[in-house]
Order: sequence, then structure tokens, then C-alpha cells
Amino acid sequence: MLLVGNRTTRTCAGPHRRAFLQVGASSVLGLSLADLLRVRANGASGAKAKAVILLWLWGGPSQLDTFDPKPGAALDFRGPFGTIPTRVPGVRFGELFPELAKHTDKLAVIRSLRTLSNDHGIAGTIGLTGSAAGGTGLDGKPLQGSARPALGSVVAKATQTTPQRKQGQSGIHPFWVIGGKLHQGKKAIIGEGGGPLGAAWDPFRLEYDPATGTKIPALQLPKELTPERMADRQKLLGALANADRRASELGAAGALSEYRGRALAMLTSTTAAAGFDLSKETDATKDTYGRTRFGQSCLLARRLVEAGVPFVQVNWSDHVEAEEDSGDGGWDHHYRNFQIMQDRHAPWLDQSMSALLSDLHDRKMLDSTLVLAVGEFGRSPKINDKAGREHHPDCYCALVAGGGVKGGRFVGTSDKVAAKPADTPLTPADLNATVQHAIGLTSEQITGLGLTPAGRVIEELF
Amino acid sequence: MFTPRTVLVLITLLPAHPFAPSLKAEEPARLTTDGSFKQNLQWSPDGKTLLFTRIHEGKMSLWTMPAEGGAMKRLLPDHKEPHFDGHYSKDGKRIVYVYDQLQGTDGKLRINVCNADGTDDGTLVPHKAFEESPRFAPDGKRVLWVSTRDGNPDLYTVGTDGKDIKRLTNDPAYDLHPAFSPDGTQIAFASGRSGRQKVHLMTADGSKVTKLTDGEFLDAWPTWNPDGKRLAFVSNRSGNYDIWLMTSAGKELVNVTAHKAQDTSPAWHPQGKKLAFVSTRGGGSDVYVIEVK
Repeated sequence: MLLVGNRTTRTCAGPHRRAFLQVGASSVLGLSLADLLRVRANGASGAKAKAVILLWLWGGPSQLDTFDPKPGAALDFRGPFGTIPTRVPGVRFGELFPELAKHTDKLAVIRSLRTLSNDHGIAGTIGLTGSAAGGTGLDGKPLQGSARPALGSVVAKATQTTPQRKQGQSGIHPFWVIGGKLHQGKKAIIGEGGGPLGAAWDPFRLEYDPATGTKIPALQLPKELTPERMADRQKLLGALANADRRASELGAAGALSEYRGRALAMLTSTTAAAGFDLSKETDATKDTYGRTRFGQSCLLARRLVEAGVPFVQVNWSDHVEAEEDSGDGGWDHHYRNFQIMQDRHAPWLDQSMSALLSDLHDRKMLDSTLVLAVGEFGRSPKINDKAGREHHPDCYCALVAGGGVKGGRFVGTSDKVAAKPADTPLTPADLNATVQHAIGLTSEQITGLGLTPAGRVIEELF
Repeated sequence: MFTPRTVLVLITLLPAHPFAPSLKAEEPARLTTDGSFKQNLQWSPDGKTLLFTRIHEGKMSLWTMPAEGGAMKRLLPDHKEPHFDGHYSKDGKRIVYVYDQLQGTDGKLRINVCNADGTDDGTLVPHKAFEESPRFAPDGKRVLWVSTRDGNPDLYTVGTDGKDIKRLTNDPAYDLHPAFSPDGTQIAFASGRSGRQKVHLMTADGSKVTKLTDGEFLDAWPTWNPDGKRLAFVSNRSGNYDIWLMTSAGKELVNVTAHKAQDTSPAWHPQGKKLAFVSTRGGGSDVYVIEVK
């Protein structure tokens, strides 16, 4: 019998009889379970998604205050917010998400995710790679095993024969992260890069700041030279030459990495530069997305996908805390959860993600672009004595749209207080497998990258 | 000839209804254009300065600017940690606010007080739990605020010497966003005790709680007109956050802003003829002023 990933160890329930039958049948046909599910879900047409936008809600949003409200629960569980209807009869969202509620014809909601750690560092690694291996928590000790590559790196490599070939075609790297490097406290988490696939598949990173515009940390461009001004190639090349001269003077010329070399090449490509040039967008479009860091990052993501990037990850913030030095503040709301949700995080996510979905839909890009919004875990159903919620790995939500995902689907249910899945327990590895499936990757392709396929495709989404 | 400047809002007082027609004033005047997140607006009692919370370059802190617009200035530039939601004393000399001492992924909220120019800063209510939304009583002798020191958000007052803490509400629901009436005899606040967050009213000693607003909507941040006859508040009853007015009896609701953007943080001018508010109608989060009659 064919073993598919870590299926037998992922959940307490283990595989169902039906799954065994599917695995048995698929092995007879010489197909993996993932391949079989892909065929079942998409028929002969194959995968629809050509690109993925991952909205990474770092810090762990509350499932109860967003997309899995429990209006019948006691007050110290349900919190102060009411619920509103969605476009799916009988299904309600938290009242702070009126725009996303209107998009449930395009959206699927998963309400039965669970992960293995309540530590941001480890849960973050699991969320981004599908595995805890190599993850480092608050104690600073890495978990056993080598870190797996980020989902974006896997998609990037599997969809490109070589980075040179792809860049030769479009001049643009296949995996971008918009937002700072993810941290827990002062320590960067494991799992945002190529890992065993090699640094060539690390993401190329952009940062957007509402006050200063788009920044490219890898190049540390002079302040006056923003990507919005990349059209002036002479100025750009001059600035880069100055940067190189400075590096040479500091004795660091030899240390310029391949990564930086690629970055330089990309920035001199008109196609790539157009991908992150927000000056080409109208003020009305920018306003629709919201002039927040996250909002404009979502707009950048759409531009990058238009430019041919197959995987874009938007980090809500680079840290988990709600009040910190940069970003829009994370979702780690141990205190002031409800005030922060009401004032900032909910309206911003509601506006920006809705704008992204509408924009992709209007441009006829949604069918070919899978949008996934998720954090590393959920938050405790019981409200603490600081009007906040603690970490909760046992139950949380994800929103998925486009790329062949059927709108109006609600996958999995949670128990009465959203403490545990009541049915269909799913994991980050399942989400990753589903994304890979949506973009058409077979387990053979995954294996061909030297990786072990893991997780089950959430076929209920297709 | 009517021009935008001469047309004042004609507030026909309408029955409370979610789809009550909105009657807007002239287009609001925009005071800021930087777009950075702002909230908790308040006019200084002399009407010359606006005090507000702003997130600038990743730092949440208190800022001031001239009431007609102009350069924004940090009130407490030496503070490295988040601080927010300032409120002037009636004489305009002191400001109470929330200070958030960060500890790992947690924060220790406390109530601080300083002079209106940011000097003589100190702690009024040390951290015990979630401490938020401090408001001076009109007589300047006590401060009203929200605390979870007994389990969930309730309303408390404390003397301006930091002593004599009194609990005003005791309900399992969240009691938030308190505001003293101009004469100090009543307190408006937001509470979820009916199942949805609604504006409530009670006497200043915490008795005689009545619910002023109804409906399946979120109503929050009530603030009194200086004449004590009307309240402005934030509600999403129009489908998104707008600024609404009602009488102190909870009647005659009218939507003052009626815009598809998010309009929040209403603040009455001391003479009661204008409302400042924060809106995202320009894309970012900016301060606007609208005249009301």
C-alpha cells in the first residue's frame, strides 16, 4: 500500500477506511493519492491555479472573533462582538467582517485546522513548511530534523525548471515575500526560505511602508531611490554602482551574494520592476485596498502575480505582537484583543482582502490565482482577564479563494466554543498539499525535488 | 446662492432606524493628509488644539496639532513604549492617557497623567489588569476608566491622587468607552450586556443603567455634545462605521458622515458646533472636521 506523507501520524483519528480504499486503488493505477484527488477534483482540465497569494496573518488571529463565531457560547467565550450573515444561508461571520461576508460566494472557509505547537516559532515553521522539523521555539533549541522548504519555495522550484530559465523569460524571481522577515521576539523564525532546496529558492523580499513606499531590503537602496522610481534606469544603475563602490571600499565586494546578484539583475529588468511599481496604480485603486501596510502589500501581490510570479507571500507584520516597532502589529492579542480587532485589524483585513478578491475577480485572474489567508494558530476560546485571548493550536480558521476553489464552501466544523474540530480535523500540511495540488504539482514532482509529499489534499474545497 | 461653506447641516431629527436617511453637512474639511492610523480624537477645552493617538513609523503614541490643521507634534517624545487615548481635564491643564509597558509578547497597561504640554508625567493607576479609556470628570476631581481587575471590563473611578478606587459597573458583559456628561451627573458607555455592543447611560454613581440604542449593530465610543443634550457615537448600522447623532434619550438618530469609508473617533468642538472625526475616505486614516447644527 502506498504511504502518503505523514498521514498516519498527523491526526489522532488516523486514516478512514475510505482513504485506505482510495490509496489502494490509486496504487493499482500507479497514481498517488494526491494525484487521484487532483483528477477527481479538477477532472480532465487539471489544475487551475497559476499563482498563489498567501496572506500570512502572523501572531494567530482569533477564530471566534473572525470567521468561526460562536454566538451561542457563554459571554466569556464568545466575546463582545455579534455576528452577521454571509452569502451562504445559515453561515455567519463575526460582525467586524462585513465585506468578506459579502465575498463568501468566492470564498471557502476552513474551520477545523489544528497544529502541533502553541509556540509562535514552531507553529510558524509548521504553517510555512508543513513540518515542525528544524523549528525553533522560545527556548531557542531547534527541533529534530532539517527544516523543510517554505511552501513558496516548493511551488517556485517545482513550477520552474531553473531560476535562470524563468528569469530569462520574465526576469522575475518566482517566490516573493512582501513584508519583513518573521520574528518571535528578536529571533527570526525558521521556514521562510528554500531550506534544502537551496538559497536560490529563498524569497525575494519587498517591504512596503505607508510613509516611504516600497523598499528592497536586499539592496538597501538609497532613500531617494524607491522602486516607484525604477523607470529611470540610468539613475538606478548609477545608484547601484555607488552601492557597489561603497561595498568595495568596505572590503565587502567579494561577499556580494548570488542572491544579491539576482536581485540586481531583476531590478534592471523592466518586467520585474513593473511588478512592484505602485505608481502605475490609480489613487482610487490604492484607496480601495486601504493605505495601510497590509493593504498596499496586497496590491503589490496582485501586481507581482500579473508580472508572472507564481508565489507571493504577504506578511501582515514581521513580529507577532500587536504593538511593536514596525508593520501593522501582529495578531498576538494576549490583551486588548477586542479593541485592537475593532479599531484596526478587522477593518484592515476586511477591506484589503476584499479588495484583493474583487480586483482579481474583475481582472479575471481569480480563477488562476489561489488566495489563502491563515495564521500559525488560533486563540483560546476562554477570554483571559486582560480582555485578550491566549495561544490556541487546537482549532483555527483559514480563508481560501480562487485557483479552482469553489466559493461558498465551509469545510470542517468546530465544537461549541471553537476549542477543537468537531469533524474533519485538518493540518497545515494538508493546507500546503492543497495549495500544491491547486497549482498542479504531483507527488512525483515533489519527490523529484528530494522532498517527501505530506498532507492530504482538501478535496472538499474543489 | 448656497455654497458649500454656507450650507450647514440640516438635521431633521428622525426616528431611530438603521436605514434612516442621512443628512450631511458640507463636505468635511480635511486636516491631515499623512494617512497614518489615528484615533481617540479630542479637542482641547480652548478649542485650539487636537489631541489624538497616532501610529507613526510603527510607534503608537499621543500627538497634538493645531485645531485648524498644521504640524503634528508628539506630546511625549521621550516615551519609547506605546501610549494612547489621551483626555484633557476640563481646565485644559492635564491629560490622562494609557501607557503600555511591553513585556515580551504581553503588555502591562496603566493609566498615566501629565500636564497638557507633556511635562510632569507620572502614573495615576498602576498596572493591575487591562486599564484603558481614562476620562477626567468635569469637576477634575476623579478619573473614570475601564479595568479588568475584577475579571472582565467594567467601569471604575479613582481620585486624581490615585486613591479611592470605586467600581461603578459589575456585569459579565464588556463595559467600554465611557464618557461623562458635561455636568458630570451621567456616564454614557458602550456595553454588550444586551448581547450586542450598544450605547448605555447611567448615573455617575453607576446606578440606573439604561440602554440607549437598539438593533443588530455595533454601537461604540459615545461622546457628549457640550450642551449635554445630544451624543455622537460610532455605529456600523449603515453597513460600515459612520458617526451618528442621537438625543441623550437615545432618540432621533441621524447619520452625520454617511460615507462608505470608515468614520470613527468623534470629538465635539467645545462650542458644540463642529465634530472632528477620523476617516479613511482619503485612503489612509486622517482627521476631518464637519460642521453640525
